[in-house]
Amino acid sequence: MQKSKIKKPTVNRQIAWTHLNSKPGQTLVALLGVTFGVSMYIFMNSFMNGVNQAQDDLAFSTLAHVRIYNDDDKRSYNPAESFFDAGTLLNIRNKKSLQYTDGIKNTSQVMATLEKQPEVTGITPQLNFSVFFRNGSKKINGSISGVEPASENQLFGIGSKVIAGSWNKLDVQKSGIILGKLLAEKLNVGLNDNVNVLNSDGVSKNYTVVGIVETSVKEIDKSRAYLNIATARQFQGKNFDYSSDIQVNLRDRDQTAELVSLLKSAIPYQVESWQTANQQLLAASQLRSIIAVAVSLTILLVAGFGIYNIMNMTINEKIREIAILKAMGFSGGDILGIFLAQAAVIGVVGAITGVLLGLGISTTVNLVPFKIAGLTTLPISYIPSDFISAIVFGIATTLFAGYLPARKASKIDPVVIIRG
Amino acid sequence: MKTTENALQVRNLIKYFHDPQTFQVIKNISFDVKKGEFLSIIGKSGSGKSTLLYVLSTMDTDYEGSLEFNGEQLTGKTQNELAAFRNEHIGFVFQFHYLLPEFSALQNVMLPALKLGKHSPEEIEHRAYENLRLLDLKEQALKKANKLSGGQQQRVAIARALINNPSVIMGDEPTGNLDSKNSLAVQDIFRNLAHEFGQTIICVTHDNDFAKNTDRTIEMADGLILK
Repeated sequence: MQKSKIKKPTVNRQIAWTHLNSKPGQTLVALLGVTFGVSMYIFMNSFMNGVNQAQDDLAFSTLAHVRIYNDDDKRSYNPAESFFDAGTLLNIRNKKSLQYTDGIKNTSQVMATLEKQPEVTGITPQLNFSVFFRNGSKKINGSISGVEPASENQLFGIGSKVIAGSWNKLDVQKSGIILGKLLAEKLNVGLNDNVNVLNSDGVSKNYTVVGIVETSVKEIDKSRAYLNIATARQFQGKNFDYSSDIQVNLRDRDQTAELVSLLKSAIPYQVESWQTANQQLLAASQLRSIIAVAVSLTILLVAGFGIYNIMNMTINEKIREIAILKAMGFSGGDILGIFLAQAAVIGVVGAITGVLLGLGISTTVNLVPFKIAGLTTLPISYIPSDFISAIVFGIATTLFAGYLPARKASKIDPVVIIRG
Repeated sequence: MKTTENALQVRNLIKYFHDPQTFQVIKNISFDVKKGEFLSIIGKSGSGKSTLLYVLSTMDTDYEGSLEFNGEQLTGKTQNELAAFRNEHIGFVFQFHYLLPEFSALQNVMLPALKLGKHSPEEIEHRAYENLRLLDLKEQALKKANKLSGGQQQRVAIARALINNPSVIMGDEPTGNLDSKNSLAVQDIFRNLAHEFGQTIICVTHDNDFAKNTDRTIEMADGLILK
């Protein structure tokens, strides 16, 4: 009895195999449909992942995961109202505005709070302000970032983007400045030249160029310069613990919400995640992913229709054979099994060749030169889960496309067919 | 080898066709078929003889009355149970040979036995060769079924019908597509099977010569048995 349980699937498989082999052209077309669908799924997703990753790398070279800053809100407090009864007619001319708070005055205290958070992987204070850069009669407006060179480099990896001089010079040479590449070109200065900086308070000072940096973000390259934060504080006339921004990086940049809500109650400043500050980045990457999935699923769907058609044709051609198999004692389940086995072979083989072709296409595309924004070739990034879902979708589509005609075949009434 | 035991028992069989309109094809017939009997069913087209055969074959289950095989009640069994029953107990030979064209003659003969799975594939292959040899087809064993002549195909179909040693072999115009020489050969095979091996043979035919060659003939007209 046990023997018969083993034999039955064997004869079904043998019939399925003969069917596949007897029409190699049709089998190949069905196979190519799956192969193409799966390979496109892998290529589209890998390409989109590559693009997203390149975009993120570029964005996070200047963007921290969480930024803490002091937003000088509009104040509605009007002292006159508390001194006079309501209804008193007041006439105040040329009202002056008072700045209550400016920047973060207790930087080290805030940083100590941040360091206690386990998810935080990097913190750096910055003192950012607008200036005019001058060299001779040339005057260009731009901004200066006063930074702690070591921790700034840890967060943004800016040290590797210095194309002349060295980032660490900022640490040792307090009068050193590092200029964006385009800014240096416009000012017509090179390494070891002096550049004059003028701030909004009218303070002017000379610094020596110790480095040129190229971030590939044009806006930054043509207007940004870096000073040591100590030098910047001195230039702005601020105390030793003053900063305008504290930039924080997390272990997982998608998990900012929790930390932001925690910090908002602990720190009397604005805490902003990169998602809120740069919603367009998030939207763009999600939209790209949706497009990739939509296109590749459409291809799989079309492949599925192809398989459905081919299976339907096969079953119509073999309708008499199916009837005779049933007359000989093959059950509906056996017939279903025979045709599903064919779909399964097409699905599995198609998925495997699809993965290989997808890898091939992706690798080739990854070699295509693309020299914009710091890229050298078109970006491709492989994620194992894409391969798994490509295989799963490929096989599932094929099985489903094969199931409908197979079920039809299993329900054929042999009497109707044989009697004609 | 003739026995008096009944291979097949039909009681009060009534069958309707519903398309295009309800029409009674078989009108309450009862008969027995003995083991080892070579029976032919004749009648004009439309007399209900083929319909009767397909009810006997267990493939058509839409009837009233009862059908017993070797004392086993078949009426009311599920399609899958009947498929398994057919596999083991009934062999079929049809007018249009209905071999699987992509398989060799040998594979075609082996299929029902492989499906039954009672013996090892080696043993089945050996027996299939034996059957083919019996029907003078040994040289054609490895040819694709669609490369054989009509007479050869029909003999392969007979070899296939025999492979599981079925108690009953049914034929729907088994010689209808054959010339007289091949037709006679098939009739001889059938008679031999019935008389030497005790297998029951039921054939529907409109060929009176064929019918004369059988042990008993049931003549049908308008859904009734004439004699």
